[in-house]
Amino acid sequence: MSDQLVQILEGNTFVVSNDCGDIEASRTDPTGLFSFDTRFLSRWVLTVNGQRLTALSTDDLQYFQTRFFLVPGSGTVYVDAKLSVIRQRDVADGFREELRILNHESKPVDLTIRIEAASDFADLFEVKDALKKKGSYDTKVADGNLVLSYRRESYTRETWISSTAPAQLDEHGLTFAITVPPHGEWSTELDVVASAGAEDGSTSGPIGIRGDGHRHVRQDMARGLEKWLRRAPSVECDWEAVEHIYRRCMTDLAALRFSTLTLPGRALPAAGLPWFMTIFGRDSIFTSLQALPFTSELASTTLMALAERQGTRIDDFRDEDPGRILHEMRYGEMTAFEERPHSPYYGNADATALYVVLLDEYERWTGDTKLVRDLERAARAALNWIDEYADLQGNGYVSYQRRNAKTGLENQCWKDSWDSISYRNGDLPGFPRATCELQGYAYDAKVRGARLARHVWKDTALADRLEKEAADLKRRFNRDFWVEDGEYFAVAIDCDGRQVDSLTSNIGHLLWSGIVDKSKAKSIARHLLGPRLFSGWGVRTLAEGEARYNPIGYHVGTVWPFDNSFIAWGLRRYGFRDEAAAIMAGIMEAAEIFDGRLPEAFGGYQRSSTMYPVQYPTACSPQAWSTGAPLMLLRTGLGLEPQGDKLIVDPALPLRMGNLELLDLPGRWKHIDAFGRGRVDTDRFTRR
Amino acid sequence: MPAASMPPAPTSAGDPISEFFASLAAPGYIETFAGESATLRFDVSSGSKMQHWYLTISDGHVTVTRDNDPADAIVKIERPHLEDIVRGRLNAQAAMLRQVLAVEGSMAALMMFQRCLPGPRGSTGRVAPISSQTVMAQRRPM
Repeated sequence: MSDQLVQILEGNTFVVSNDCGDIEASRTDPTGLFSFDTRFLSRWVLTVNGQRLTALSTDDLQYFQTRFFLVPGSGTVYVDAKLSVIRQRDVADGFREELRILNHESKPVDLTIRIEAASDFADLFEVKDALKKKGSYDTKVADGNLVLSYRRESYTRETWISSTAPAQLDEHGLTFAITVPPHGEWSTELDVVASAGAEDGSTSGPIGIRGDGHRHVRQDMARGLEKWLRRAPSVECDWEAVEHIYRRCMTDLAALRFSTLTLPGRALPAAGLPWFMTIFGRDSIFTSLQALPFTSELASTTLMALAERQGTRIDDFRDEDPGRILHEMRYGEMTAFEERPHSPYYGNADATALYVVLLDEYERWTGDTKLVRDLERAARAALNWIDEYADLQGNGYVSYQRRNAKTGLENQCWKDSWDSISYRNGDLPGFPRATCELQGYAYDAKVRGARLARHVWKDTALADRLEKEAADLKRRFNRDFWVEDGEYFAVAIDCDGRQVDSLTSNIGHLLWSGIVDKSKAKSIARHLLGPRLFSGWGVRTLAEGEARYNPIGYHVGTVWPFDNSFIAWGLRRYGFRDEAAAIMAGIMEAAEIFDGRLPEAFGGYQRSSTMYPVQYPTACSPQAWSTGAPLMLLRTGLGLEPQGDKLIVDPALPLRMGNLELLDLPGRWKHIDAFGRGRVDTDRFTRR
Repeated sequence: MPAASMPPAPTSAGDPISEFFASLAAPGYIETFAGESATLRFDVSSGSKMQHWYLTISDGHVTVTRDNDPADAIVKIERPHLEDIVRGRLNAQAAMLRQVLAVEGSMAALMMFQRCLPGPRGSTGRVAPISSQTVMAQRRPM
């Protein structure tokens, strides 16, 4: 994947190609044009006189636009530079590619330009699992279009290909027989449209894919991006990398914006490029929380979109219950035929409580009580889910166990890989499992729900009840989850009521939620910044010394920037200013090394032993909540906390930051500037 | 575990679609539609025959007529598919992706309407616990 490029529209249409712009999908090479979780081109290969091309340079002009400078010949030693080929590709409802051939000789040249095109119409799930298709394919040439199509019963997907210059079309592609004058140029525009079939004559297909197969109107993407960046607060910092990281994050967030058909013109954050360009309850909520000080639009859209799709019934295939917030939404063939449960799938145990947390935090920043009133039904249903449906063991704790044993998710917390929750000795607990951070989120949801009930919904009885329940949950939790001999909280309570006793980063989320007794917080902070959990860059998912610890294990030893950003917030909440600044320093220094774009996770190796953070090999970049991590760290570093109509600024920044200014922070105070100066010497934590 | 607050699933006697819409109209007010307002027309085709159901939701209050009037959302579907949907045999969102259900107009109205649809018949919301020994036996060691 190293030499592949990804382009994207602020929807879920994207192209993955090689550095020449060619697409040649195979089982091991997931390239293609994808839209709504379906591959619309699996082959798109350009040749000149039968020869493949070599890339001289490839420029990502914007996240939705790439230019490829090519020359004929695939030789690595010598390239014949009498011709230049420039492909510029813009992704929209498919893509549009401008192809230019430049003749550098003083005589005319006759050329045969050929584009081979084909599509396997694979569902993203099929690409991952290499499954066979059940429908049939067809290819036709009609009215200057090459139309590739796939049909299974009434399910139809089509790729329409056309060009502005006259071409010979056949079932496998387009051919141009051209003459390029001396020192002259030839060009054409190739248009590829992803369509859901035209038979019902509607202008938009059933899922937002265009139904008419006609040429799309190119959106003014560049202007949209500029406007997004202009509207965002600006950052000035003596440590210049911070400004670069900030700009990178805001640009990546723009690329990750995703619109639903029910809320046109509004955007929420999708989870990651390219494979997770869809709504994920947990990821969209966490990213919206991280971005709140900079933009509240992502949060409001997330809250609305998740409410629209909130669970209303018992559906074991989808792990759906009334009030539950969705986990993942998909649009491909396997979801359409109910071979996968993602229409949507509800298997998570955290997003429902986090939904209430986001709603409250959104109101605290924006003062938008109208939305809180509009979403009262959804928020009440979410609060009800915690008590009514999530207490699988009848012990007063939120637990999870999938009811769809075939295609459902085993671990329904953010650490969702199979081995993420283990005892010290490496054994895995049974199901249901009540992981600790779920109790923290539930506690926070009740506390915040009570605030909304009291001040916005004017329901004192509900507020009183929620506060009482929260206090009771906190009391029980600090008793039942506390690992006496380690002085931290167990990662989970298993199905026999036993503590799953390994030391994990989850304890940091507990600080964020506020469920930790003050008397126990110091011990938690000591562990988080201690040698077993803190690598010098950040807090490891699983502590060194636990049986399953592996510095490059997905959830069992790597450092996750998103995780750390919430841990830093938690540390600030309990007054551990220096410790929060240390995490900020470590993660921002890692971000600088990764050129502003933090990966999903990086190795948990001791900082002094590797010098550089080692990226965890992952197919998704940028990842939304990694993109949001520096934003949240800026917030925690400056100690930004809304209080009534004021924004409290209480900086605790790493020394190296120097002066930091966030200008024009939007909120209920209209706009405000926040300043801070780095005074915390974080080296004692990070340089060891 | 209590059942979801939704109208009872229609019995198989008679026409399931008529019974489903009747069950929506009967209580007059449906909690899950509180605060919501929209009109939906269902154009249900069966061969050359076309039937209409017109649903008006006004802050939770529901009325159903057989009018063929303009609506916020017009849902086009063949009878057998709608029968499957109201019986909990076919998921409405999946039906839309599969292109057996098409919408003209407001997608948001259809999304909201889906709240009152029943889940699959066999779903209980329950599952037997799995022991640590079973989990360990299924998983490779470290």
